Amino acid sequence: MKPAPFAYVAAASAADARRHLGAGGVSAKILAGGQSLGPMLNLRLARPSHLVDVTRAGDLRTVTDEGDALLYGAAIRHAEFEDGDVADATPGWLAAIARGIAYRAVRNRGTIGGSLAHADPAADWVVTLTALGAEVVIAGENAARTLPMTGFVQGPLATALEPGEVITGIRIAKRGSSARWGYWKFTQKAGEFAKASAAVLIDLERGETRIVVGAIERAPIVLDDPEAVLADPDIALPLLERLTAPNPPATLALHAAAVRRACLAAAKDEDMPS
Amino acid sequence: MTAISLTVNGRRQSAEVEPRTHLADFLREDLLLTGTHLGCEHGVCGACTLMVDGRPVRSCLTFAASCDGAEVQTVEGFEDDPLMTRLRDAFSRHHALQCGYCTPGMLATAYDIVRRLPEADEPRIREELAGNLCRCTGYAGIVAAIAEVLADPLTAPLQPRERPALSAAENGPQPPAAATASARPAATSFATTLPIPERIDGGVTLERRLSLDIAPQALWTLLEDFQAVVACLPGASLESVPEGPGEPVTGSFTVAIGPMRAQFRGRALVAYDEVRRTGLVRGTGGDPVSRSQAEGQMRFAVEAGADTAGSVLVVALVYRLKGPLSQFGRPAIVADVVDRLLARFADNLAALAEGRGPVHAAPMSGFGLIFETISMRVQKLLARLRG
Repeated sequence: MKPAPFAYVAAASAADARRHLGAGGVSAKILAGGQSLGPMLNLRLARPSHLVDVTRAGDLRTVTDEGDALLYGAAIRHAEFEDGDVADATPGWLAAIARGIAYRAVRNRGTIGGSLAHADPAADWVVTLTALGAEVVIAGENAARTLPMTGFVQGPLATALEPGEVITGIRIAKRGSSARWGYWKFTQKAGEFAKASAAVLIDLERGETRIVVGAIERAPIVLDDPEAVLADPDIALPLLERLTAPNPPATLALHAAAVRRACLAAAKDEDMPS
Repeated sequence: MTAISLTVNGRRQSAEVEPRTHLADFLREDLLLTGTHLGCEHGVCGACTLMVDGRPVRSCLTFAASCDGAEVQTVEGFEDDPLMTRLRDAFSRHHALQCGYCTPGMLATAYDIVRRLPEADEPRIREELAGNLCRCTGYAGIVAAIAEVLADPLTAPLQPRERPALSAAENGPQPPAAATASARPAATSFATTLPIPERIDGGVTLERRLSLDIAPQALWTLLEDFQAVVACLPGASLESVPEGPGEPVTGSFTVAIGPMRAQFRGRALVAYDEVRRTGLVRGTGGDPVSRSQAEGQMRFAVEAGADTAGSVLVVALVYRLKGPLSQFGRPAIVADVVDRLLARFADNLAALAEGRGPVHAAPMSGFGLIFETISMRVQKLLARLRG
């Protein structure tokens, strides 16, 4: 089980990565940890001609304090969030989320930007950053552009990234100590992909309340009236029945349970481990 | 080839490696360090876990080419490490191994637990071990061994380090060399000789209702034109039509999901009931490149729509994926692929009904593997429609 041949280059910066990506042509890919792409390569389900490794690009490994928000470099690893090696824009939520991603050996190589570019609907960062209202900063042909998570993830493994574009950073607004957060996911075994997940943000200081449903057959769903769901989490089931494609009752119930438990976790002002 | 220079178990090594060579193969095949074991080779089993720059990583998901400047420590490199010595002894005492296949990876993870989580209790040890599978001994002895070492902690000689970021000067401005062309092997005929299953047991089911602005009878007539229907399915192509009643059609379907791309070739039997305006397509197909197979059946029915002018196409799928593709073909992802395919199919059918050509012709990009499965079914459906 070996990958098909490809050319490999390690980029020294985001600009360097874009240059190599352009030179590599349409089937060149960014390698940003390779913990999802790697299996696809080994199984030969993906056969890119070039891999541009960005994990040692200095400008993708920095955190910038922008006052109101932190801009995280795309090549920051999950374990660095988990261990507090980088500042947390939230009261510890990012560290807790990172700890729940796959396994430590995966977290030591997987990166936040790689996770977003892969856009697995069950990925913890995809759901979390949507709920946090994060922005994705992308370097392209001419200038940088910024997309909200809701505009960036378009579906399972599908994003708004254009050929030749590189994610350079993720902007996450700072959250005060009064903000509350709830996250719940269902996995049959610790570390595997979630079969249902939901995240709840209540930040009255910034006037933001959001409920996001993940691990579904599309981009994460941001519920329209989060206050109503928080007031009565039982309305999540009929709501999801309307918002999602026809799903077996057990699947739907699991998604609704994720919403209820994430609401509960937020109400208790603590993260519930999955 | 990529030139790398790294430290393995304290010894400096320089080598030319093929970019696709993962670290485990480099260690085992080039350096003959066979203590690192390969199990699944796609990041699930944890057998190949070892230390790179003092942190446990999957060596099957780490390319040797990416380890330039790294410090690698395999199970062979812990001979004189007092913490690992204590772990080895504890593993022996607690019968934490039988066949030993998972043990090198277990020890790497155990070392990391003891060093990083001195307060870990049994549930936490088990959580941290979730990425290392043991299939013979069971975990009780492994957990007990780690707990014993944790109870009497010892400073770990091996500590994490950070490799410096690359500087532009160091990396140079050279463009990457072109990869050896990885041409897809010519399609073989194996897929078209797979038996078509009578029934799909334990498959995933999916039902969708597609509202169309076409009168039911007109829709049925469209569906009866088999070749036109195939043309409405982006990525589908027909290779042969049935030679007689009860004979299968053959065709292929190309899909791409994220970075993955597959082309399924296969056969399907199509049957339909003109009176009830329903049909059944049953078939199987395979992609020799990804060594994956799909089998399934699709029932379809044309019903009157809510308003008198329109109709509803009801599509009920049962499918099963086998092989590498099934690793990524989670039902939620397949459902999205089906939904997008059906949406394009509906657009194209509507265009056809108005006498226009297909609106969407290219294979769907952005959704793939599962899509192919679906397309197979759709092809079958089409075949069935044609009768």
